[in-house]
Amino acid sequence: MSKHQYAMVMDLNKCLGCQTCTIACKKLWTDRDGTGYMYWNNVETRPGLGYPRQWDRIGGGWKDGLLQPSPLPTMEDYGYAWEYDYEQRLFEGKRKPVMPSPEPKSGVNWDEDVGGMNGEENYFFYVPRICNHCTYPACLEACPRKAIYKREEDGIVVIDQDRCQGYRYCIKACPYKKIYFNEVTGKSEKCIFCYPRLEKGEVNACAAQCPGRLRFVGLLDDPESPVHKLVLVHKIALPLFPEKGTQPNVFYVPPFNPPKRDNYGKSILEDARLPLDYLVYLFGPDVKNVITRLEAELKRAQAGGRSEVLQLLIGRDAETRYRIRPQLVQIQG
Amino acid sequence: MRTRQLMILGSGLLACAGMWGQTAATMAAGQTLSVAASSFPADNLLNGGPAAWNQVAVKHVGLNRTPPLYDTDEPAALEIPVVDVRLARTGGKLLVQLNWHDPTHDAITLPEVPKTPPETRFLKVPTEADDRFFDAAAVMFPTKPEAGAMTPSLQMGDAEHPVEIYYWNATRGAMLMQAQGRGTTRRTGQSFPANASYQNGQWSVTFELPDLPPGTPVAFAVWNGSQKDRDGRKYFSVWQVLE
Repeated sequence: MSKHQYAMVMDLNKCLGCQTCTIACKKLWTDRDGTGYMYWNNVETRPGLGYPRQWDRIGGGWKDGLLQPSPLPTMEDYGYAWEYDYEQRLFEGKRKPVMPSPEPKSGVNWDEDVGGMNGEENYFFYVPRICNHCTYPACLEACPRKAIYKREEDGIVVIDQDRCQGYRYCIKACPYKKIYFNEVTGKSEKCIFCYPRLEKGEVNACAAQCPGRLRFVGLLDDPESPVHKLVLVHKIALPLFPEKGTQPNVFYVPPFNPPKRDNYGKSILEDARLPLDYLVYLFGPDVKNVITRLEAELKRAQAGGRSEVLQLLIGRDAETRYRIRPQLVQIQG
Repeated sequence: MRTRQLMILGSGLLACAGMWGQTAATMAAGQTLSVAASSFPADNLLNGGPAAWNQVAVKHVGLNRTPPLYDTDEPAALEIPVVDVRLARTGGKLLVQLNWHDPTHDAITLPEVPKTPPETRFLKVPTEADDRFFDAAAVMFPTKPEAGAMTPSLQMGDAEHPVEIYYWNATRGAMLMQAQGRGTTRRTGQSFPANASYQNGQWSVTFELPDLPPGTPVAFAVWNGSQKDRDGRKYFSVWQVLE
């Protein structure tokens, strides 16, 4: 068990699906050889296929204390990179349309804004995903090389690139499919929670660049941190697929607002815009209690009262949203 | 001497049978491997055709399959039951040639990575596939061969008996590794001369090793990429002894 644990909370009510976090991460960490298909941070439309597609349905994680490895996702599940034949159009003077090749069949953010139907209404929301830096990482357990370790000082899960031999048991074991294999180096890679930034007191790049200001970062065990308050005090943030047994340290404020059209004033749980079954699928049965708590906060604010929870979730400035404690981690860690 | 060797091999056999939950009866037993004194120079044995090896006797070494790593893994079929081993000494080197039948050729040529830093290039080298594994083979022997000593653990040696592993991968080439027990294998960053060819469903891989004294235990391993072999998921022989 780590002495401290960095955690992130993402308020899905605020996510615009703009992918700025995705690009911030990509430019910083995965703009190298072999990393083209890697998205340590991706934003997917839910309901939807996800990236790699169907990652939530193929397995991974723990059951009765045993690892439940899935098959390895294939490049078809990630989607092959395609190029456009600009050459013939722009330089050879051929009037053929500029078509992508190979024919795109899947890819990151492939089914953006498709969503699902709730009765006759279309609905969707966005779920940004990074490595969950789990308390009980299935990837760590699966690695016969002991190349994966959880940093004792801050709970960040990283892959030692010197020890990794590219066996990919970690990818099979991760229920969130947040480890990627680099065939050029022959090693696996994953989100490092921007630990080099945190060590300098800077927040993660995905959080720093987020125009929606939906990310909160801090130590889960620091009573002053926003993540501690949102997860442990107010209890309004939940991990994704808690039944996978890894105990993620990335949490989500579930989407609950706005209400359905012509439904103003009614309880969101009574006639939800988003099918509650789908939210239960993603966040477990406790999501209904969380929405009840959020709805009560909303009602209090609407009645002219003050809601500390909503003030925190608005997150007006960086001091509210982030509490990075490099000194605490270094001195006490 | 012969009795001692048999006893050592026997105890090694029981050790791995116990550790891996297999019955000793299913394990191919260790044997003595004769080493030819070759008149060909090492380069000829490494890179020459079959002519250089024609006079060298072949020994069929039985291979075993490691059990599944996960309870949920399907047990793998014994598709490669035997590896043919030829050994020759010349010019202070020990040349080891392994031949085995494998109808699936799991090897690729990795795309060339430009020498310029990736951040200076618009295009990066892509990962073409994330789920393929490659054929491979290895020769393992004790780092400090001692006549009559206990053989190291077959699972990559042990703390008292470190091992050298000459590993060849059909895609990534030859690399020297060292280990002191299961999970401790590390790349030394060094390579060694090796040559491989694949014809008619048959791999032939020649390793150039430093000369090893008579009585040295050696063990062999083969990985079949199409069976998703890597790590301990492989074919292995029990310890054999150099004549």
